[in-house]
Amino acid sequence: MTVRNRGALAALAAGVAALTVAALLACAAQPARTVGAAQASALASAPPTATASGDPSVPVTAGELPSSAETIPPVRLLIPAIDVTATVDAVGINERTNEFEVPPSVDEIGWYRYGPGLEADAGSVVVAGHVDSAEQGRGAFFRLRELDQGDTVTVTGSDGAARRYRVVAREEYAKTKIPLDRYFARDGKPRLTLITCGGPFDAKARKYRDNIVVTAVPA
Amino acid sequence: MQLSYFRRVAAGGAVAALAFAGVGAFTATPAYAATSKVSVVHGIPDTPVDVYVNGKKTLENFKPGDVAGPLNLEEGDYDIALTKPGEPIGSAILKADNAAVPGGANISIAAHLDAAGQPKITPFVNDVSKVAAGKARLIVRHTAAAPAVDVRAGGTPVFEGLTNPNEAKGDVDAGNVKADVVLAGTDTVAIGPADLNLKEGTATIVYAIGSAEGKTLDVVAQTITGLHSAPGGVPSGDGGQAGTGVGTWWYVLTGAGVLLLLGGGVRMATARTGRK
Repeated sequence: MTVRNRGALAALAAGVAALTVAALLACAAQPARTVGAAQASALASAPPTATASGDPSVPVTAGELPSSAETIPPVRLLIPAIDVTATVDAVGINERTNEFEVPPSVDEIGWYRYGPGLEADAGSVVVAGHVDSAEQGRGAFFRLRELDQGDTVTVTGSDGAARRYRVVAREEYAKTKIPLDRYFARDGKPRLTLITCGGPFDAKARKYRDNIVVTAVPA
Repeated sequence: MQLSYFRRVAAGGAVAALAFAGVGAFTATPAYAATSKVSVVHGIPDTPVDVYVNGKKTLENFKPGDVAGPLNLEEGDYDIALTKPGEPIGSAILKADNAAVPGGANISIAAHLDAAGQPKITPFVNDVSKVAAGKARLIVRHTAAAPAVDVRAGGTPVFEGLTNPNEAKGDVDAGNVKADVVLAGTDTVAIGPADLNLKEGTATIVYAIGSAEGKTLDVVAQTITGLHSAPGGVPSGDGGQAGTGVGTWWYVLTGAGVLLLLGGGVRMATARTGRK
């Protein structure tokens, strides 16, 4: 075999190797496949509300000042399928951005305290956590996009009781298109909604393009 | 005392009907929404009533301080009558005939005293537009026989110079506030203080009722839920470790691979040809 021939072979081999690596990376970089989108949207459609017209009994309430409602905040989240054991903090809205106030620590999950708590018999209990952070590395929800239908999520409330949920849907939306009203709904079937970031990362803006949303129902 | 109320109420019936019809004038009526939600608030002290709508008894023994509804009423005209509990509609103490209910509105009808202590009916259109995430709406209505008042939250006046039968409102941070009502421009507390839990995404409507002279000043509250908005977004990552999709480097790698393959292949082919 001539030197020239060997060089050509090496070039071919390098070329094949480069393309193989590129192909593998492209496959790995595919966005999380959406599953159960129809189920997630069906959960949000509220049962028809009864109208009072023609109903002889009109609700009458004592016009007392509203008092604090009893809610059960989630305090701990366990997702064995993706090795998540995390503390849950009650969070609200960032005054400056009007966005969900995800806890600054990437190891902690935020529960939207204005929405339903674990006691609610309707609506979406929303928890959100970091996928990662530039300073702190991987977050509690780094592997949220790997969750699949049938996986179990266990949420412990401030009352100490653990509640099991079963994943029914995993969806990926561009942040500009995500139907947030549906995920922050206070009506519809009782459900747990887990949100993090995903999709392509804009290194200049330091932002992910998408949100990953996992929907689970009481198991 | 009660009987004198009744007589005055009866006299005020025509005025009430006018006021009720007036609601339509300042309510936008979308063509698609024909029903309105109508609540009734009872703010006349010591005067329980039965309420008739179009001749049908709708509320029985409706007590001062209570809130009834919401009723879903089709757009249209209604005859409303209040009687002493158990008495026939013929001996109504207050009537509002052909009261116009516009479509698609949320209305509260307050039976209350005016500033001079005369019973009357005032319809209010409730602001049920969405509140921003994290906020709650506070609406205060002066429906008491009392002079102008200021409403204070945590000791600071938030609504000033409110008079009967008007309202003041604002969207505030959700949560607990200690509120009281003082005579306008003074520190003389007329009502309260009371702890107010303003739940996010709701409108809390507080009616000042009763009479200052009769020492019956009190509050009635009505809550409207479902006005919440979702947060503007859920920002939850700025590290980029989980980024999907391919970057520039991927195209460079693929390009290099293709060039190497082409180059190597051509060279191999020419080498073989050369050897022949």
